[in-house]
Order: sequence, then C-alpha cells, then structure tokens
Amino acid sequence: MSIPRVLNRKNRILLKELTKTDFKLRYQGSVLGYLWALLRPLMMFAILYVVFAKLLRIGGDIPHYSVYLLCGTTMWSFFSECTSQGIQAIVNRGDLLRKISFPKYIVVVSATWTAVINMLINLGVIIIFALINGVEPSWSWFLAIPAILQLYLLSLGIAFLLGSINVKYRDITSIWDVLMQALFYAVPIIYPIAMVAETSSIAAKVILLNPISQTIQDIRFGLITNQTITTWNYINNTALTFIPIIATLAILVIGALVFRRKSKFFAEEV
Amino acid sequence: MKHSIGTRTEINTDSNIAISVKDLHKSFKLPTEQAFGLKQAIFNRLRGIKGYKEQKVLKGLSFEIKKGEFLGIVGRNGSGKSTLLKMLAGIYYPEKGEITVNGTLVPFIELGVGFNPELTGRENVYMNGALLGFSNEEMDTMYDDIWEFAELKDFQDQKLKNYSSGMQVRLAFSIAIRAQGNILLLDEVLAVGDAAFQQKCSNYFAELKDHKQTVILVTHSMDNVRKFCDRAILIEAGEIIKDGDPKMVADAYTKLWS
Repeated sequence: MSIPRVLNRKNRILLKELTKTDFKLRYQGSVLGYLWALLRPLMMFAILYVVFAKLLRIGGDIPHYSVYLLCGTTMWSFFSECTSQGIQAIVNRGDLLRKISFPKYIVVVSATWTAVINMLINLGVIIIFALINGVEPSWSWFLAIPAILQLYLLSLGIAFLLGSINVKYRDITSIWDVLMQALFYAVPIIYPIAMVAETSSIAAKVILLNPISQTIQDIRFGLITNQTITTWNYINNTALTFIPIIATLAILVIGALVFRRKSKFFAEEV
Repeated sequence: MKHSIGTRTEINTDSNIAISVKDLHKSFKLPTEQAFGLKQAIFNRLRGIKGYKEQKVLKGLSFEIKKGEFLGIVGRNGSGKSTLLKMLAGIYYPEKGEITVNGTLVPFIELGVGFNPELTGRENVYMNGALLGFSNEEMDTMYDDIWEFAELKDFQDQKLKNYSSGMQVRLAFSIAIRAQGNILLLDEVLAVGDAAFQQKCSNYFAELKDHKQTVILVTHSMDNVRKFCDRAILIEAGEIIKDGDPKMVADAYTKLWS
C-alpha cells in the first residue's frame, strides 16, 4: 500500500466523517453531552486522589503530586480508551465493512481518534491545573509531545494486532479488559515508582521497561516535574533504555502487518 | 490463511472493457459445530478438526463487460449473484482468478449504508455522502436537492429512528443517485418502496441508459431485465449457464421453475 493511496482524498473524507460520527454518538442522549469527555477522567482522578493521596498518603514527597496523578490517570485513560475502542472497531463497524469497500484501517484509526480528542481536551485541563498548582511553564513541556505520540502509536499497534484477531475470536475483548486491570497496577500511575525502588530497584527497572510506564513518566517529566523518575534517568545501561521504544515500534509494525494480511477477509468473517 | 489468493486490480485505460473477470472462484468457510471463540478453536486444533466446511459459492466465472453496457445478473436465491457483486465491488477477496476493473466503480449493495438511527437526517446525509466519497463542501452544494428529491424537507433535523422505513429508503436513494462513477453496481436496492418510488427508480435506470453508463444490475425482476438490459447473465449454483440476449436469459430464468 503506497502512501498516496492510503491518504487519498476519499479516505481522508471518510476518516474525518467517521471520527465525527463516533464522537457524536459517544455522548448521544446524555444531558451533559460532550462535557462527559472532561468529567469522566476528572471524576476518576478525584476518586484516586482521595483514596491514594489523602487516605493512604502515598506520594507525599513528589512535587505537585495531585497534577502528577491527574497526568498519569489521564494518559492511562487515553491508552485504555484507544485500545479498547480500537480493538472493537472492526466488529462494531461490521455493517459498513460488509457493504462497501474501503481501507479497513480507517475504521480503527477513526475509533482511536475519539480517544485522541478526549485526551487533548484533558491535556488542556492538566495544563490549567499545573499552572494553578504553581508549575512553571517551561520549554520542557514540548518533551511531552513525542512521548504522547509514542503512547498513541503503541495503542494503535495493539488495536491493529488484537483488533484483527478479535474479528474471529471475540474473546480478545474480554481478555483485554482483564489484562488492562492488571496493567493498571503494573504501571506507576497511582503509586510513585520511588516506592517500588525503595524495596527493589530491579522491580522498578522492570516496570520502567514497559513502554506504557516509560511514556507516562516521560510525559510527567516534561509537563510537571523534572524530579520524575524515568526510564532514561533510572536505568544506567543505555542499550536497555531503548527497549520500550523498540517494543513500541515492533508492536506497531507487527500489528500493521497482521492487520493488512487479515483485513482482506474481515468482510466475510465479521 | 491457506487461501491461494486471486487478484482484483483497478486500472484506468481507454480500453472499451469496463470489467473483466477470469476464472473467478470463491468459497466460504461455514463453521460446523460451535467453532466460535478461542476455546473451541484450540480444542478443534488439538483434535485435528477443521471446525468448518467449505461451501463453494462461485466455481470459475469468466465474463467481460463493455463500457456503456447495461448488464443484468439473474439467478435464484443462493446462486452466488450477490457474492459475485461483492467481489466486483472489492468487498470480498477473490479466492482464485482475476478481476480487472477499468474505471471508477460505485457499488450500491444496500441503500443507506452507515445510516445511524441515533443521528439526525442531516448528519446521516453527510455521513452517507462521505462513504460515497463526497466532502462536506460538496455535500453542502447538493444538500437541498437531496431533500427536495426525497420529499422529506420537513424531517431533516429529526433523528433517523423517527423515520419510517420507506422514508429512510427514499432519503438513501436520493443520496445514492448523486454518486459519480463510470461503473455502477446495483444489488436489488431498488426492489423496495411504493409505486411512486418504483417509478423514480425506473426513471433513474432510463437516465443511466440514456447516458450510456456502465451498469451491472442484480435483480429478480425480469421486467427490468427486458426493459433496461443490453445483455444478461444467468447464474445457477455458482456457474454461468446463460449469457447473452436479455429476453432469452429472462425466459431461461423463468423456466428454472418449470
């Protein structure tokens, strides 16, 4: 598939319109409508904040801990929404696939874009919170851009890979749900990685080799505080630090290849 | 995938052949027992059960369609007409054989693809337009005509779920006929609707014929075959058993039951 064909005019129009429809439908029939895109992650944050920061008193010595936590939960929601919507996209849009011919990846990408839009809205909220919290605006904020991009590519890769298997074996949706629960605790979102490092520095290093941890910590490092422990400043072996990036690219490439091979038969299998 | 894979190519040349099909095969895997889900797939693999049986739907079709030809495809239910059409449209992949499409192909496998009951008529028009390749700006210019033609102007901001099925079809048809392409694939989409709607469809066919459009029409209506088609193909059990003069083919079709 050559680039001009992938991004031709017709595909761009379709991508845009599908994303718009997805976004509209998500909040269709709710009183607060689009506001939910903002309220949901904020509420999740509020719960976690009360439980972990106030009741369990975790994260005391991290500067701007509340924004630090908000940043983590938002990026996690982004990853979680991106993958779960992306994985189900082909099945959800089965009616379309069976009736017209178009590049199937459009359906997956458009499903993840709703999550991208939500994330961008929430990114605005994080920045406002950060400023209120006394975080100084800095050039390091731009460091968050490549990290967010990497997180998106990782989600997309997972969506392509698991989404194409999900067409035949719908178990994937349920397996992924459970896996996400486990992953949530395997990534330093609600607990500071320093807490793990105190007991076992090996465990902390393993956690930081997970591309989700690496990107979320990078985003926090850029946006909130340069005291964030990241893969880069915690793991001394330079070769090892590239594992998360290599893993991301590998998942994306494998996902895209599997998807391309299987997509020929989606229309008859879905 | 164990499929030996056929090809479908789109070209754009001056040749007077619009579509050429060579030795086209297709079969579907029909799950035999409960072959859905991961558990069953693993069990089947372990026991060496295939978990599906192959159903041959098309068994080596070959034909050509010239530019400007109005071709009818007829056959009983389950004979493979719709599968053939979906393969021409690029929805199903050929298992074996070659399909060459020369020009821009617009398929109408069903009217109102992508219609969503929770969206308003207006939103659905733009969505459906996008599926036909029209940008928002292009839809803006056609927008009023579409509603005018569908005679539903007062309903444009109602949700689609509040439309009757007839109204939905009228709206869908009204969008569909805007599609620009030089090869049209029509699959019985027009077998619905009341007498007035049927009349509109007939007019549309007549117009297509006047404009020397290349049309492939899958239908059960022998009246339409006799009236509009230049040529017709009769498919039975995945094979072409008659190809030629529409009257002759329509008669052969009727005789299938006698």
